[in-house]
Amino acid sequence: MKSFSSRRAQAIVVAIAAGSLALTGCSENKGTNTGDNAKKDQQQASVQSKAVTYADAAGSTGPAPEIAGAQSGGTITVYQEAGLSHLDPGQTYVSDAGQVANLLFRRLTQFQEDDKGNVSVVGDLATDSGKMSDGGKTWTFTLKDGIKDAKGNAITSADVRHTVERQYAKFIFDGPTYLQTWLSGAQYRKALPGGGFDGKHLPKSVLDTPDDKTVVFHFDQPRTDLPQTLAMAGYAIVPAKDDTKAKYDTAPVATGPYKIASYKLGKSLVLTKNSNWDPKTDSVRHQYVDGFNFDFGVTESTQTKRLIADRGNDKNAIQLTGGVEATQIQDVIKNPAVSKRTVKGYQPYVMQLTFNMDRVKDLKVRQAITYAVNSKSLIAGEGGVYGGDVAPNYFAPTLPGYEPKYDPYGRLKTPQGNIAKAQELLKGVPAAEKKVVFAYPNSENGQKRKVAIEDALSKVGFNVVSKEVDSASFYEQIGKLNNPYDMYITGWGQDWPSPSTVVTPIYDGDQVADGAPNYAHVKDAKVDALIKKALNQKPEDAAKTWKEAEHYLLEKVVPGAPLWYTKQFQLSGSNVGGTRYGSVSSLLDINHLYLKKS
Amino acid sequence: MLQFILRRTVGALVTLFLIGAATFFLFVAAPSDYASLACGKDCSPQRLEDIRQALGLNLPIAQQFWDFMSGIFMGRDFPTGHCSAPCLGQSFYSGDMVWNTIMDRFPTTLTLTAGGAVVFLVVGVGAGMISAYKRGSMLDKFATGTSMVLSSFQIYFLGPIVLWIFVYSTGWMDNPQYTPITQDPWGWFTGMLLPTLVMASIFTAQYTRMARSSMIEQLAEEHVRTARAKGMSRKYVFYRYAWRGALIPIVTVLGIDLSSMLGGAVVTELTFSLQGIGRLAVDGAIHKDLPMTMGVMLFGAFFILIFNILTDIAYAWIDPRVRLS
Repeated sequence: MKSFSSRRAQAIVVAIAAGSLALTGCSENKGTNTGDNAKKDQQQASVQSKAVTYADAAGSTGPAPEIAGAQSGGTITVYQEAGLSHLDPGQTYVSDAGQVANLLFRRLTQFQEDDKGNVSVVGDLATDSGKMSDGGKTWTFTLKDGIKDAKGNAITSADVRHTVERQYAKFIFDGPTYLQTWLSGAQYRKALPGGGFDGKHLPKSVLDTPDDKTVVFHFDQPRTDLPQTLAMAGYAIVPAKDDTKAKYDTAPVATGPYKIASYKLGKSLVLTKNSNWDPKTDSVRHQYVDGFNFDFGVTESTQTKRLIADRGNDKNAIQLTGGVEATQIQDVIKNPAVSKRTVKGYQPYVMQLTFNMDRVKDLKVRQAITYAVNSKSLIAGEGGVYGGDVAPNYFAPTLPGYEPKYDPYGRLKTPQGNIAKAQELLKGVPAAEKKVVFAYPNSENGQKRKVAIEDALSKVGFNVVSKEVDSASFYEQIGKLNNPYDMYITGWGQDWPSPSTVVTPIYDGDQVADGAPNYAHVKDAKVDALIKKALNQKPEDAAKTWKEAEHYLLEKVVPGAPLWYTKQFQLSGSNVGGTRYGSVSSLLDINHLYLKKS
Repeated sequence: MLQFILRRTVGALVTLFLIGAATFFLFVAAPSDYASLACGKDCSPQRLEDIRQALGLNLPIAQQFWDFMSGIFMGRDFPTGHCSAPCLGQSFYSGDMVWNTIMDRFPTTLTLTAGGAVVFLVVGVGAGMISAYKRGSMLDKFATGTSMVLSSFQIYFLGPIVLWIFVYSTGWMDNPQYTPITQDPWGWFTGMLLPTLVMASIFTAQYTRMARSSMIEQLAEEHVRTARAKGMSRKYVFYRYAWRGALIPIVTVLGIDLSSMLGGAVVTELTFSLQGIGRLAVDGAIHKDLPMTMGVMLFGAFFILIFNILTDIAYAWIDPRVRLS
């Protein structure tokens, strides 16, 4: 989900644009503290970076705990700038479609968050978060009783198998690929070209459904993250009887508390209650409001204006993945009545100045640049004090294993850059190596970043040649292995709260390929070995290995200079209750809302 | 007349084909392709190939072009079903049929265009004509001054001010939105009133100035002077002779303006968060969505060509000296 590249990342880009304007911490804003509060930030970060726990059957039993003061009835209006790229769960990877999927679809497992921000994986359609055996190579899930889709058909293990197998079909190309790859390897489509539609299925040695209620996954190596993987919206259940293949993308059948009443691509989406959803089987979701009206095409600027004005129907409105628009932040934070209607928190993204290690081969040059970059001015360009926090390392505050004080380059003490240290490292470095080509997107933010990078690096004697790149295809251009750039600013975030979804995709040597996210082209035997080791370990042991990998990367390899952590800052109407920041979605928790007066 | 229309129709079809070809090949020649943009995080050569295959981008360029153009007349088959003629392809981004999307968005743009045209033709041309008729009067000065001020405004400036006053600040109006007239006529009228008036106000100013200068020019023509010398009243000459002559430059510009607006009132739609053809064009370009971009381009070009023909016919109707040949 979490690079800024590609169509799938477009919604994320929107979220990031908003996140760059964020305030501090992860909480509902009570309107009393609108300033920068580093201590509170770190407290909130420690909550967001807590390890996820796996719940048993008791923790997976519905209904979800009642929200104090919650009322039933009414319709929430949801504003979003761009239309949804997909509604088919199999094609869902980005945060906008993911938010909608939380209302519409159920998966085998789901993330549950309590009021203190603790996150656990619970059974959603399954009775619990799964039973691991064979050291994590085998996982067994048992379906709950009484689960039906919106058409009233019972959900069985055959539907789960169908959901997995249809991911092998060619019309599914935009969703996550973790599960398929784990089950059948990188060339997984060849294992089941028909996607299960032709009557052929995955062998029982890979995916078994011994009865209507039981699903067994078999892997060739331990997959201890599986419960978290299956909680992704991309693995939500598609009932076999309802599947219309490619057409399903515009008319999917719901299993969650809401179903689609009408959908106009890129224009509007109306959700109403799904009467076949049984709250007793769902420990996460609520069905307080009668429905949701999604209004696409409303810019963040207009969303913010409407929500600040808080008139008429806008009292019942929320932002889906957009945030408070930059120029209106002061209007929001200076008005306590408006400010108390915001939610804010860290996003999972770490922005870094990534080095193309095929071109910037000298470790001292990379380290010197890492010392020299000015996080402070870069954050200022992203929205001033609300743009984010200085990042001293590669792990975001949302990631288990986050170390707020791990700061090998002294970034927290000298966020404006350590010029002396950089100059010291550059002694003896030939002038030719001090000429660096910096690629930046031709957007407003890109221009600001260009100025900040040029300014910081020229102070230590670098000759920065800045190259403008079309912002729409920026990641495509820097994703080419033979790209002509030495460095570029990139962002990455976790798919679920585990370093495996950060370290593996962006630093694994296998990911050095055209279009792949290892933009630094890191090919390091020790890194690869640590990744392999961590992926085969139990979570508590893996955490140490991931930490070792991060430290080694940042201190010995230096594929990028960590710059800043992004944040999210969203506004909702005064009649919307239950607003809170969702640690997993890094957005307003859409499953936790009600209207105070319907 | 029939021969003229037939000839121009054939010419229009050839022009549309050339526009389609130019758009297609310029798009294909661009430095990035949609499959790479869509490939994303888990991008691999295999995944890239899957996307290309799913979208038909693995086919030869010439075949892709032929499939697109022939689909307009004969329809096409896609994995999601048949796309009846006129088929403008299937959006890479949304998977929806482009023609269906255009038809869904067109009523919004049509409302803006038609509503705006009524306002700026009645108010703008009317004020310009009266200004010319009463040249030098206070009314003339007021109309000229107002049009000068309004024409220096832009929709992206005037729109937010109007929204702030009538929607966010006072709450006198609801957020602008399009509601089908068949579903709720009052909702349709009130929802589109502000955007239509704001867009029309800019055009009104331009038409006022144009109508005024055109009419003043006409009133100075020899045939008008001769008519007056023959004893015809000023009012009679104004409505019988000068008015029609003054309309020719207005009709010319009107044809261009209407066709441009039907092709998408981008700024108005973005300013008022409306989902019309203009926004579709912008989204298509941003998402590198070739079928959508091609579809919207051809749709807009169609109106430009149609209004060109209608403008020529209008010339002949307004001024009998003009012959369609």
